Amino acid sequence: MRKWFILSLCVLAAAVVIGLSSQEIARRLQPELPVILFVPKTTDFEIEFWEMMRQGVMTASEEFGADIRITGMREESDVAGQVALLERAIAEKPDAIVLAATDYDALVPVAQRIADAGITLITVDSGLRGGVSRSFIATDNVAAGSRAAEQLLVYLEPRDKGEQVVAIMNFVKGSATAMERERGVREQLGQEPGILILDTVFSNASEEMAYEQAAALLEEHPDLSGIVALNEPTAIGAARAIEDSGAASRVKLIGFDSSMEEVAYLEKGIIQATIVQKPFNMGYLSVKTAIEALDGRKVKPLIDTGEVVITKANMYDNDKQKLLFPFMEQ
Amino acid sequence: MKMNGLPKFKSIHTSIAIAFSSLIICAVLAMSFNSFLLSSEAVKRNSYEHTGQLVEQVNANVETYVGNMESIAELALADEKLRTLMRLHDADSPEGLALTAEVSAFFGSIVRSREDIASILFIGSNGSLVSNREESALKPYHELMNQDWYKAAKEAGGESVISSSRIQHLFEDEYRWVVSISREAERGIDGSGGVLLVDLNYNVINDLCKQIHMGNRGYVFLLDPTGDPIYHPQQQLIYSGLKSERFDDILQAEDGSFEAVSDGAAKLYTVRTSEFGWKVIGVNYPEELVGDKKEIALSALRWGLICLVFGLALSLWLSHTLTKPVKKLDVQMKKVERGDFAVRAEIESPNEIGKLARTFNLMTGKIKDLMEQVMWEQEDKRISELKALQAQIHPHFLYNTLDSIIWMAEMDKRDDVIRMTSALSKLLRSSISKGEELVPLRQELAHAEHYLVIQSMRYRGKFAYSIEVEEELLDQYVLKVLLQPLVENAIYHGIKNKADQGRIVIRGTACQDGLCLQVEDDGVGADAEKVKERLARGRLYSGTSGSDGGGSGPSGSGGLGLDNVDHRIRLNYGEPYGLHFESERDEGTTVTLRLPLLRESVGSSPDREGEG
Repeated sequence: MRKWFILSLCVLAAAVVIGLSSQEIARRLQPELPVILFVPKTTDFEIEFWEMMRQGVMTASEEFGADIRITGMREESDVAGQVALLERAIAEKPDAIVLAATDYDALVPVAQRIADAGITLITVDSGLRGGVSRSFIATDNVAAGSRAAEQLLVYLEPRDKGEQVVAIMNFVKGSATAMERERGVREQLGQEPGILILDTVFSNASEEMAYEQAAALLEEHPDLSGIVALNEPTAIGAARAIEDSGAASRVKLIGFDSSMEEVAYLEKGIIQATIVQKPFNMGYLSVKTAIEALDGRKVKPLIDTGEVVITKANMYDNDKQKLLFPFMEQ
Repeated sequence: MKMNGLPKFKSIHTSIAIAFSSLIICAVLAMSFNSFLLSSEAVKRNSYEHTGQLVEQVNANVETYVGNMESIAELALADEKLRTLMRLHDADSPEGLALTAEVSAFFGSIVRSREDIASILFIGSNGSLVSNREESALKPYHELMNQDWYKAAKEAGGESVISSSRIQHLFEDEYRWVVSISREAERGIDGSGGVLLVDLNYNVINDLCKQIHMGNRGYVFLLDPTGDPIYHPQQQLIYSGLKSERFDDILQAEDGSFEAVSDGAAKLYTVRTSEFGWKVIGVNYPEELVGDKKEIALSALRWGLICLVFGLALSLWLSHTLTKPVKKLDVQMKKVERGDFAVRAEIESPNEIGKLARTFNLMTGKIKDLMEQVMWEQEDKRISELKALQAQIHPHFLYNTLDSIIWMAEMDKRDDVIRMTSALSKLLRSSISKGEELVPLRQELAHAEHYLVIQSMRYRGKFAYSIEVEEELLDQYVLKVLLQPLVENAIYHGIKNKADQGRIVIRGTACQDGLCLQVEDDGVGADAEKVKERLARGRLYSGTSGSDGGGSGPSGSGGLGLDNVDHRIRLNYGEPYGLHFESERDEGTTVTLRLPLLRESVGSSPDREGEG
């Protein structure tokens, strides 16, 4: 009786071993990659910034192993569209969502539902009010603003008498990014004596409006010696106004981000410097962080991807070229 | 069989199981380990070889591209029209412009025919400026002369200079990623010359390297001689300091492989240096190989375990089936040990154990037969012993009788002497006759009467006797010498010690299921309980010893001779026949024999005492 007991025990053990190992084999044959939904502000990857971020996302997914699905709205201003899209995404139950929020407030409720559904939410580039996401990966815009101010101070020509008159051209009133950048600029310039900062103007991220505002500033303030333009179209508009009014020699311009036009103005010496973000790193780090969070590791709630100052002098440096001239794959 | 120090196993079952198991475990372990070693070694070697081949392949491709660029540069510089153009004093002269257009068309045809070439440009020291595109606006002459490629070519003096990957900005508003080769043309006597630039589309390098995958995470990258990455899948991360590679170590390394740690992970670098100083580096993660190794180990372990479990189960089963019949046999043998010879080991198998079982069965059968035979023989022996005893006349009795005869003869009691001698003679005769066991009741009664005659004469006037037997019973057959011991008992234990004259009655009646013979006396009686107990004991040990009473003679201390009679009856007829004893002090004793009714002597014919 005892023998048969042992025998049946052995058979049982064998069955268990085979069962386990076949399960193991099946698991190894079909490795379950985490599904990560990447929702950029726009799916127009002709825009360098988002293309670079996409490349970063793909690079990280290859390195860490993730099934990346990209979805989003064509227009960056389509906030309602992004909300609806995220609502649908919750039903698909991806493991994580990497989101570049089109609005600081409007997406908070849906983001909360994402988090409630047990989906790991990471925000990239543009965050949400209230810290719904596990981690926010973006440029520290306050720091970027102060870097811009530092650059302006470098290029401002010393004056014998009177104050340096400086203007800040912002883009969207109420945008978190815009406000933070301005704060950075003001904090940095405020530390310097003898600097007069004019009232901030808002271009609404329109190049045309920026052109007109800059032209008006140049006319109203003949002693204006510096402008900080807080995003790309604003910088282009301001640069064009300076070029057209022939004020390039007296007004120094510091811009943000990069484009071919900006590069051209840099080469012409109308824009002295531009503060460039690192979208590739944002994409890479957001996926990396998402996977770390999925693995149950502790992730930083805020990751600063940093910014780089590009000037005419360093724009062809090896490490700057990649930021300024993203390699667009064909 | 076993070495010293090893535990001795009590059963074959355990021994077999343990021997098999050890054998299986050793074999499986050795096999698993061996297969693990072999396959992990093979995986590692394959992976190294594969990496080496891939890196070699990339290197060969890169060399081909660069070689092509060099030959294009050579071809372009050897062009007669270009040579003429650069020797002109004034490149803007009509002749110069015409030549420029022709050369530009020539460059254009080269670039159009090759997808990998992005642009070709020549800057002459005489101010000539020729590109593969006639329409596009080139950057100003002096700006182009300030670009790195131009300066580097001037410095190299006729040697080809290969740049790292870079942004080429030749045309207005056009920024392209290229790898360029620039080379100064041979200077003329008047010092006229120029620099030719050939740009390789960076896409070519990018596509080439990007498609290479080694393992899950391995990759290939290119390094220029200054340690600047030409291609790296994570170039931006490296510039941002998020990732790092051991560029210094790689620059110093000879072609081959080495392991180094970067970003907290061990990497296996496989380096090849191309003809023009670029390094092609394949990166593998040994961790992945280790992962493979683990997988191999796991699979070896898994299969080993499965084999082991099956092997062990098999060995247990085998040892069980082998020893099961032996155990069964053992159980049967134990029964035999306890004296049960009826057992049979039911083992059908045709193997050795089966044979053993059959032999065992034969053996027990034989033993059983022998035992029965022995029992029969003993019984026979006992019966013959009893026969011998019953026939014996006690010498003491004979002596006393003869003494009485002498005494009577001396007293001249002639009639008495004749009677007694005649009775003794008849008694002796029936004793001597070794006849049949069964005799007619008539004969048995006669025998008893002879005895009574002798005794009544010896104990003159001491007792009277009578025989009251139903007439029809006289022809019934009974065992020989049944009554005489009872009579003897009545005389010696009943009458002899009685003060008055006693009386002995022999009765024969048909009782419910047979024949009842009674010997009744009115003597002193005996302790019935004692006698009964003795009888019972006699019955219990009936198989062992013969009678101790000494046959028909007056047996010793309370011998009575009754048990002998009882025993014989039981032996011959079985239950419920036998002797019944009743006695009361000073009242008398009645001994009843219960016998079956037998008309004929069963078996052989009774021995007749014919002649007289």
